[in-house]
Amino acid sequence: MSLTRAHAISPFKKKGDIAPPRKKLKVPRLFIFLCLSPWLFGIIFFTAYPMVSSFYQSFTKFNLIETPQWVGLDNFHRMFFEDDDFWKALKNTIWISAISIPLRICFAIFTAWVLTKPKRGSSIYRTIFFLPSMVPAVAGTMAFTYIFNPAYGPINKMLEAIGIKEPPFWFMDPAWSKWGLILLGLWGIGDTMIIFLAGLLDVPTSLYEAAELEGASGWQSFRYITLPLMTPVIFFSTVTGVIGSFQYFTQAYVASGQVNDYSHSMYFYATHIYHSAFKAYEMGYASALAWVLLVITLLCTLVILKTQKRWVHYPNGSLFK
Amino acid sequence: MRKNRMFASIAVIALVASSLVAAATGAQAATRTVTVWSPYSGGNLAMWDAAIKRIETANPGLDIKSVGSIDMAKSLAAINAGNGPDISISNGNGNLGWFCGTGAWQNLNALISGKNGINMSATFNAASVASSISNYKRCALPLYSEVFGFYYNKDLLSKAGFANPPKTTTELLTYSQKLTTFNADGSIKAAGFLPWAGYYGFDMDSMWLGQMFGAKWYGGNSSAFSTDRKWAEAFAWQKDFIAKVYGGGDFAKGSKLLTKFVAGRGGEWSGTDHDFISGRVAMKWDANWMSPMFCTGDDWAMADKCTAKVNFGIAGFPVSPSNISAYGSGVIGQGQMGISKGSKNVKDAWIVMKALATDTKLAVAWDGANGAPSSLLTKEARPANYPAWYQPIYDITEHPRTAYHTVQNTGEHLEESMLQNLMASWQAGDTANIKTALADLAQRVNQIIVRNN
Repeated sequence: MSLTRAHAISPFKKKGDIAPPRKKLKVPRLFIFLCLSPWLFGIIFFTAYPMVSSFYQSFTKFNLIETPQWVGLDNFHRMFFEDDDFWKALKNTIWISAISIPLRICFAIFTAWVLTKPKRGSSIYRTIFFLPSMVPAVAGTMAFTYIFNPAYGPINKMLEAIGIKEPPFWFMDPAWSKWGLILLGLWGIGDTMIIFLAGLLDVPTSLYEAAELEGASGWQSFRYITLPLMTPVIFFSTVTGVIGSFQYFTQAYVASGQVNDYSHSMYFYATHIYHSAFKAYEMGYASALAWVLLVITLLCTLVILKTQKRWVHYPNGSLFK
Repeated sequence: MRKNRMFASIAVIALVASSLVAAATGAQAATRTVTVWSPYSGGNLAMWDAAIKRIETANPGLDIKSVGSIDMAKSLAAINAGNGPDISISNGNGNLGWFCGTGAWQNLNALISGKNGINMSATFNAASVASSISNYKRCALPLYSEVFGFYYNKDLLSKAGFANPPKTTTELLTYSQKLTTFNADGSIKAAGFLPWAGYYGFDMDSMWLGQMFGAKWYGGNSSAFSTDRKWAEAFAWQKDFIAKVYGGGDFAKGSKLLTKFVAGRGGEWSGTDHDFISGRVAMKWDANWMSPMFCTGDDWAMADKCTAKVNFGIAGFPVSPSNISAYGSGVIGQGQMGISKGSKNVKDAWIVMKALATDTKLAVAWDGANGAPSSLLTKEARPANYPAWYQPIYDITEHPRTAYHTVQNTGEHLEESMLQNLMASWQAGDTANIKTALADLAQRVNQIIVRNN
């Protein structure tokens, strides 16, 4: 079979056509290595070495000045049996993960769904909803501590205006501070929302038309068409959400500093690592904390991966089978 | 003739030999290098370098390399890596435990008591002498100070019938009751005094509260939070104060009102709506370097022209009746310097460090530019002219009971932030039993000390 000109341009145009054999490029191995070397350098010196080093340090007492001293499992024993702040930080982190991940997903789906509705100016609405996620975390947090300020913040003024006599003190009240962070997270939902929006727009309209012909209600269409087809996106958001929430730091750190959170109601796991490393100068202990965080995150991710077969619907099969 | 030739030969040999010795000495002198790392930049670095130049001039053959803009963390990392400077600077006493306790700075006892030593108590004020020791090792020499005292609004006090600032905690309560006013909705309009962690406090409110009651931070190598009853007394007073002044006897009410009041405080650095300037608060703890903020400008050079945004005075902290001898004192902190472990030229480093610590010209320039009184006792270390209203700052500096707390190696002064957290928890009503909480805190501090030593 001789290849026509059209085949040469698009060899797979006709079903059954066979791609012409590729010529083996003769590229020197050294050249390939040189091209890869920036990445290799980065992965070895900025990822692999620090990881191996911190793993070693997690079994040592290391204060930056003196040579690390091998202490075996002491750091881990201290973490689980002596360090109250570890448990406080872990509890706060689990709380924020458990509340914020489902809320963010629900809010993102809802927002994305709303944004599929406008027939005119949809791109403007989408941009407006996406914009907050582009605001730097520090600036966003500072703005939130201002608008939620119990004395002069507009939120409490509004709440008082509608008859709530004693609105919460938000970031200044240990009982409400984490809720302030949750609201801050929901405000910056844009990145998650955009993924759900792409997923929603990808649902074949024929399915909705068929459901409509069968007499399905709006809720039934959502429950039996939209939601199942969104499960891969929900799964993705859950996994990335868990990883992100266990590393939750910037917003909490900034808000804590803004309102003097001496009660540690916004003290999270990543804050504890930072505090141990750069305030207490206990690099060994901080490394141990970081490795425990990795294990916790891995375990949570594995649990989600294991359970996905039960609830994630892949129209074309799962990548994780 | 032969004799003459012999003399000539000897003379030539002697000349050559002396030249060689001189050259060798010169070569040796050229290697006498001392490296000084400081966090200073701009005008401060220029003042610092001028002092270094004076030391070089006074010590021929000594080459001092001054490097600015290097913070504590960088110094520590370099000392650890074995390529640190001979001399480095720590801003604040709290970090002394870290520099001394880890051995990053050398023990100076032998140098201080040596031939070219220094009489510490005759040279520096009492607070500075005490503050250059950590873990019972003296490893630092003091530089300039920051002084924390009691600021009061003269007009407001006068209007309330008080001619002088309160001297005791009892008077402070009475003054505050009279000076505090409430809005129609029950919220606080203006406050007398706030013994409150987190109200413009730089995380030091608990330290100031302890100073008012003469509470000790350590007894030997252990935390005294539990063993020194004055801590419990101080916290009990704080609670009672909040209840009586702000809650009409109800602590929970007072605490809630104060939380909201503190949330509405004016900007600390705004220079216009700071609560002390606006009259929202009549009396407060504060640092000497805040004084220019309360004047016409926030530039220290303008302090002598203080036409006052608020008519204020400065005094020592009010003290508890059982601690009356401490009246007039405050809290004082210092910038300090030490000789790094691994310094190859300790002898010369000591010469440089001693000269820097006792350089009155540097002290005068530094105080004049930054409002940071020297640690030196001599009056020559003060600017020739300074405004009369600033005198109390020097009086506090010199008071024998003025102090920073004794220092142990607790990382970046963790015991301070832990005590501050307890104070905040206590004032919010989240801690029920202060004695148990203080005992728990002492135990945690002791654990840190044991771990770090």
